[in-house]
Amino acid sequence: MAIVGAENLQNHAEHVNALNVFPVPDGDTGTNMNLTMTSGIRELKSKPSEHLGKAAEALSKGLLMGARGNSGVILSQLFRGFSKSLTNLEEASPAQIAAALQHGVDMAYKAVVKPVEGTILTVAKEAAKAAVQYAKRCNDVVDLMREVHVKAHEALQRTPDQLPVLKQVGVVDSGGQGLVFIYEGFVRCLTEGEGASVESYSMSEAAAPEDVAVPVARFAEYTSAQSKLSTEEIEFLYDMEFFINRTLSGGKALPFDETAFKNALAKDGDSILVIVDDEIIKVHVHSRRPGDVLNLALPYGELTDFHILNMREQHRDILDHEVVETNVASAELLAGQGAHVGSPGQVYERAPFGIIAIALGDGVKDVFLSNEVDTVLSGGQTMNPSTEDFLNAIEALSAEHIFLLPNNGNIILAAEQAAELSERPVTVIPTRTVPEGLAAVLAFKEEETAEQNKEWMTAAAKSVISGQVTHAVRDTTIDGVSIREGEYIGIKGKAIVVSDPSLREASQSLVSSMLEDGGDLLTIFTGEDANGADTASISEWINEQFPELEIEIIHGGQPLYPYLFAVE
Amino acid sequence: MGKVRIVTDSTADIPASERERLGISMVPLKVLIGEETYSDAVTITSEQFYEKLIASPVLPRTSQPSPMEFVETYEQLLDEDPDSPIISIQLSAALSGTYQSAFIAESMIERDADITVIDSKSASYGIGARVIKAAEMAAAGESKEAIIAEVERIKQDMGIYFLVDTLEYLQKGGRIGKASAVVGSLLNIKPILSLDPDGVVQAVDKVRGSKKAMQRICELLKSSHGSDPVDVTIAWSHVDGQAKELSELVKSQFNVQSMRFVPIGSVIGTYTGPGTSAVFMYRV
Repeated sequence: MAIVGAENLQNHAEHVNALNVFPVPDGDTGTNMNLTMTSGIRELKSKPSEHLGKAAEALSKGLLMGARGNSGVILSQLFRGFSKSLTNLEEASPAQIAAALQHGVDMAYKAVVKPVEGTILTVAKEAAKAAVQYAKRCNDVVDLMREVHVKAHEALQRTPDQLPVLKQVGVVDSGGQGLVFIYEGFVRCLTEGEGASVESYSMSEAAAPEDVAVPVARFAEYTSAQSKLSTEEIEFLYDMEFFINRTLSGGKALPFDETAFKNALAKDGDSILVIVDDEIIKVHVHSRRPGDVLNLALPYGELTDFHILNMREQHRDILDHEVVETNVASAELLAGQGAHVGSPGQVYERAPFGIIAIALGDGVKDVFLSNEVDTVLSGGQTMNPSTEDFLNAIEALSAEHIFLLPNNGNIILAAEQAAELSERPVTVIPTRTVPEGLAAVLAFKEEETAEQNKEWMTAAAKSVISGQVTHAVRDTTIDGVSIREGEYIGIKGKAIVVSDPSLREASQSLVSSMLEDGGDLLTIFTGEDANGADTASISEWINEQFPELEIEIIHGGQPLYPYLFAVE
Repeated sequence: MGKVRIVTDSTADIPASERERLGISMVPLKVLIGEETYSDAVTITSEQFYEKLIASPVLPRTSQPSPMEFVETYEQLLDEDPDSPIISIQLSAALSGTYQSAFIAESMIERDADITVIDSKSASYGIGARVIKAAEMAAAGESKEAIIAEVERIKQDMGIYFLVDTLEYLQKGGRIGKASAVVGSLLNIKPILSLDPDGVVQAVDKVRGSKKAMQRICELLKSSHGSDPVDVTIAWSHVDGQAKELSELVKSQFNVQSMRFVPIGSVIGTYTGPGTSAVFMYRV
């Protein structure tokens, strides 16, 4: 059932992406939720169990590990609460399922610092509320899930009334839509049986559609089908994940054709995910021939951050120790990054602190690395690292206490989730932009306590005014600014303050707005789309307008944003 | 018993006119630029030095005075007044062998003399402010003990912060001390530098942009010296623009009883480079 839900979401991921409302290139809610769900399903498949509670727990754990993006993290929390509620149940009644849904909503609301209504949260809440009511007069899980789906859909339609930004743009909430697709998949599975499964998963479950009126047992059915799967049946046994870095190729890379690349992968692979960013392409595939996959990717750029797992090996482990939990994070770590990590259990002295920052752009990364940051993970507006990515990076770092700098509002929740799951103490400084992250790093002092550092780093991040210039991806009106697709928009903090066809004009207006309340230092990070003439012209103009201001120009190399600004 | 006589070295950065007025004896260190050797503050002025420093492809080197130079100074003072106790306050032993030379010199004096050699554990006006106070007390006829006690009190009380245009000189000159962690940043970071209790350079904070750095220095001094009446010295190298800003800021925020504005000499300048601003503050 969960798998069909996931597939339904996967098939509609592009639709969900398109609903992303903020007119910056951030159309990735569907991708994030899909990747999160995929991770959940992978875990569920690897821990087959007849026991509903155990199956739900496996799904929940996979979701937690794979959570990326705000919607993905909320989704993982919904299922976390859901599964906790079912832990000890071998099967569940409609009332228990409803209570579990409600528990999931409670858990998700708790996980979000400032819950916003009109989002996936509201959709889940309304659906759970309806489920609890409905369960009182219903004893059929299928009916219950139908009701959940209907109510969720209704709640989704109301989201524009609750969140003005949705109304302005004229769409429903993207995360909420993703959740509705998942519920829809559940219903389809329950009514049509596992045959509703649409495509792609080679480890496809063969469970025959049984009498759908039988309540409760669907989770168990799925898993029982799974446990019959023999290790040899895992056809595409190498689970691969890596990045193609376009910028490192020195301009010699072939132009990237996403469709052709995906088709080539599909010839001998499945579970294909290709996330294209201007600079970096993330590739995930299950294949029989990892060497061929790498050769396919090579002409497009330099390959980095490999994770290659043998899924048969994983499966054998599971069959051997059905109950023993495998630490997926460390398994992947050993497979992918063993070269520069000490073997586990090896005794070595750890540094008191480690810092992990998220950034895109060679220059921005170098700046972080030159200022006491130990690890920079690739990620930003359109590429959100998962909780598991964070956990891997934490695991690889030899430090007692680790600070995480998400440097993007969409990554904070995944970072916080990683902090919660990590065995070592991790503090997330909730930085929303690169300049905030940099200010936080500079406030860090090795000789101070973690608490003191947290306080100073957080305060330093808040003292910075961040500005970003990027392309608008749709026509809209937001924050009272009328925006046309293709124009340059200037974002001060979270608000759009200017939209202009000219990059120079947009940048200058943005910086003027940022300096309204004064400031001593302006930092300009030039993106990969910035050119020297524009940069010189903009900085000269600023210098004339604000002669007292100190200006520092730094090569950032970040994609999508020709300029990032920071006023301090 | 005669009046206490005060000896220091050229790294105290006390201008010649001030030394003459207060009768302070100064033993110069040497600075070598290319093939030329100069006597700090004697055969080369601060101004000349920075012009040569900027023009020179190689970094200047410095050398401590020989013990003999101290012996000559001590002997001269003892010739003038055999009964006078001598207090000799030198550049931090953590930074230079000057104190060592003075210490050896003291043991080389064969006649009966009362010479106290003090490791200032400081530099520039971290020495200079104390030497001036000592000389003023000596002129007023105060005892050797009283002067030494006051010199120690100022040492304990003094807040020293300085900003360099670049850390390159401290690093290449091997005097970067505990500030080395700040080297290598791709950002124009202004470390707030200070001297630890032994006189080793340390970075107490790091800030971006010189305006913010100056504000941070004032915050740090505010927390230690509050609104108590203070003596302040602002020192600068090569260009004084930033130092002037700093002095205005300090004047406006502190209960300043007396303020000096002095150029940093060639030996200290070899390690800080041009464009340095420093503040030295102690409760009067």
